Amino acid sequence: MKKTEIVLILLVAVIIGVIMSLTFNASTYITFADAEKQMGKEFTVIGVLNKEKEILFEPRQNLLTFFAVDSLDNERKVYYHDSKPQDFERSEKITMTGFSTDSGFVARTILMKCPSKYNEQQYIQHDTLTSPIY
Amino acid sequence: MEFIGEHTLIGNLGQAFVSIAFAATILAAFSFYRSAINEQLKAIWLPVARAAFYSHGLAIIGVISCMFIMIYNHYFEYQYVWQHSSLELPTHYMISCFWEGQEGSFLLWTFWNIILGSILIKKANSWEPTVLTIVSVIQVFLVSMILGIYVFGIKLGSSPFVLIRNLEENLGLPWTEMANYLQVVPQFMDGRGLNPLLQNYWMVIHPPILFLGFALTMVPFSFAISGLWKKQYSEWIEEALPWTYAGIMVLGTGILMGGAWAYEALSFGGFWAWDPVENSSLVPWIILIAAAHLMLIYRARKAALPTAIGLTILAFILIIYSTYLTRSGILGDTSVHAFAGGLSSQLLVYLLTFTLASIVLFFSRLKHIPSNKKEDVVNSREFWMFIGSMVLFISAFQITWFTSLPVINKVFGTNMAPPLDAIALYNSWQTPLALLIVFLVGITQHLSYKKTNIKKLIKQIAFSLILAGALALYIAYTVQMWHALYLSLLWATLFAAIANFEYWRKILKGNWSHSGASVAHIGFALVIMGALLSNANKRTISSNEGFIAKDFPSNENILLEKGDTTHMGNYHVLYKSDTLLGINKTYEVEYFNLLEDSSYAYQFTLHPFIQLNEIMGNVAEPATEHFALYDVYTHLTYADTDVHDTSNPYHHESLINIKQGDSVIYNQHFLYLDSLMVNANTNLASPEALDVMLIAKLRMQNMQGEFSTTQSIYAVKNNMAQSFPGFIDDGGLKYKFIFEEVNPEAGSIQIKAYEHIDNEKPFIVMKAIIFPYINVLWIGMILMAIGTGIAMIQLFRNKK
Repeated sequence: MKKTEIVLILLVAVIIGVIMSLTFNASTYITFADAEKQMGKEFTVIGVLNKEKEILFEPRQNLLTFFAVDSLDNERKVYYHDSKPQDFERSEKITMTGFSTDSGFVARTILMKCPSKYNEQQYIQHDTLTSPIY
Repeated sequence: MEFIGEHTLIGNLGQAFVSIAFAATILAAFSFYRSAINEQLKAIWLPVARAAFYSHGLAIIGVISCMFIMIYNHYFEYQYVWQHSSLELPTHYMISCFWEGQEGSFLLWTFWNIILGSILIKKANSWEPTVLTIVSVIQVFLVSMILGIYVFGIKLGSSPFVLIRNLEENLGLPWTEMANYLQVVPQFMDGRGLNPLLQNYWMVIHPPILFLGFALTMVPFSFAISGLWKKQYSEWIEEALPWTYAGIMVLGTGILMGGAWAYEALSFGGFWAWDPVENSSLVPWIILIAAAHLMLIYRARKAALPTAIGLTILAFILIIYSTYLTRSGILGDTSVHAFAGGLSSQLLVYLLTFTLASIVLFFSRLKHIPSNKKEDVVNSREFWMFIGSMVLFISAFQITWFTSLPVINKVFGTNMAPPLDAIALYNSWQTPLALLIVFLVGITQHLSYKKTNIKKLIKQIAFSLILAGALALYIAYTVQMWHALYLSLLWATLFAAIANFEYWRKILKGNWSHSGASVAHIGFALVIMGALLSNANKRTISSNEGFIAKDFPSNENILLEKGDTTHMGNYHVLYKSDTLLGINKTYEVEYFNLLEDSSYAYQFTLHPFIQLNEIMGNVAEPATEHFALYDVYTHLTYADTDVHDTSNPYHHESLINIKQGDSVIYNQHFLYLDSLMVNANTNLASPEALDVMLIAKLRMQNMQGEFSTTQSIYAVKNNMAQSFPGFIDDGGLKYKFIFEEVNPEAGSIQIKAYEHIDNEKPFIVMKAIIFPYINVLWIGMILMAIGTGIAMIQLFRNKK
């Protein structure tokens, strides 16, 4: 056997390792209810910000609390121990990693889906349609 | 209907240029193809093809000029101008507006391809017809992205010359029927403006360089495909090599400039975050480096040709894949700064066309590609260069595979979420791979092609290994980095840098024109070393010791009250003042060292600022103090950005109802209404003309029992009510009282009380991080660019 062939076999082995690694390490998108089955264990939850309820940011406490609704329409209070991200109120979808506790979901990171170009156009339409401009 | 104030001429002209550019590049592709397949007709078709390509180039320059005119003159009736610029934008950022959108950045890419295509027409000689056929086909795809026309009901591309009223989603809206919509609809008076994050000098130079890097990968690709096409399986390498080095240099510089921008202007605290957008431009660069080294192996030893061809093609395919990932919207949930979608299916067609065509061509020719039948020699330079290229391939594969998670989900119908700590996972793969690569970078230069004398090798590198070990221990001591893998990587990077320097000094006798490889390798080793030292040892000095859960800090921020000096890490910090300058609110933060005699020694001042932007939201920009051996990075995570009206510095209104002789509690004070006098004659301007005048005598008592008094007056003259406020200053706490009204039934009066804005100490919340040895990274980056540049020049010279 040529040495290059040994190298190629090793190469394939490592590539399979990479593929497996992602499968094993990938997190799963779950709901608040599922996260609560294993309190304290970290998961990724995708939710929508409830804009009706209070979004409270207390800079002196370094704490942001808000209410998020998951895909099964369950709502939980979310605690985020950091400053409020820019444009938080305008976010459509929030991806949160963190764990559940008795009093709510404690988020380590939050990633927001930013409002897109399309929405800005909707905003124009909305404004010009509802408010008289003459 | 005639619309008032629209400048439709420039848009029509621009759109005409787009059409011309598209038609001309199709003609160019066709006629270059004709001249490539038929030697007899070459004399006829080649001039046609060149003329078509140049016309295409001029038309694209026309398109770009029209766009600049529109942006410069603020023609907000155009979607692109309205979306990406505004009236108050400084001229030097107008250039960034141009590539903020999809259309503009495709144009930038197209523009560089034209420059490269024109050079290739002059320089590629016998390769011109085939290479330019491929370039022109690429251009057909790129220009189709900005066509904005409908073919059989399918929208092809998105044009930068669309009027807002003609946008699909606006058709039929009432305002589009108004001739004077530009005058009366307030939204069109000004554009949305440039994203505040892009209002940064790095964002003026980073995109053009990155896109030049993208464009340069096209050249080796075109040569490799031409080689397969014309069955000149190895001859293309000599032509493609210098261009490959140009690509490595420019793309690498572009990527690291993106890192520099992230470090200087973004708030995630670092220069690299394994974000999909960053990854997708890093991967083609890694593959291009692997391809370049395989080309060198072939040149020296006539081996590894199929792999060299394969990876050269792959580098370009990955550029298209990167474009697909970042612009189709597929990354959505996993990336912070991907473009919004819109061209998804068109990009997919582009990607699949080039991938499938390349695969078919490559595998149909594979059996004809000469391959090395000799037994490999383990102690040869080519063997380890090959291994190194394979390690690079694995590194690129890991990054691509992990970044492609949304694509994998879509293809396999899975619903995997990104790993919880993706950065740690990337690092756990890439750190050992980097160790291998860097070690090979150090040793391979000292190996000989064919066969190496091992004794001589050991003698050559022993010194570098030992010196690197000693230095590694010293540096690890300064930052207390004793993790075995990190320590080995540090040692390997130092070894690679020293060994390459020694090779240049001893073997190349300090010759500059052959120093390219050594300088670039030293640069690469330093980039890895800088990344390791600054990332593995970065210290968030603003964080406190509290943890919510394991590895889950409760607070990485520090709160600074204005005027107070607070302890933070090795420093004491003072939030001294804030100033509003234009659109930036800047905060002055001073750093001190506490001396033994408990006095403060001033060190430096940082000015993190917040760019105020009502439309897109305020953006905090960090400030960094650079030292030779470390950086102190400071970033505001919260600050009160309200702009206070200095003519009326009172706020926090409270309504107080109070009876004569009564007291209320207000702001930790007792407030008494001592007396209420009616029609009293005081020294107001003209008391005799007053109809009614009420004077409320107020007394305010603090917790220490000290009190101050004032009077608030309510006057009615000629049926006009007027109020004269009273002021109280209680040892620096200032209040204002306005006599608002009388409530006869209750027998009380109403007073509006205000606090002075200075009563409550303003504060900021910030994060501060120390990045040790980050300068090593930037120096490495510069050396790598210089080294690759020297190699490129040398290769271009040799070709002549």
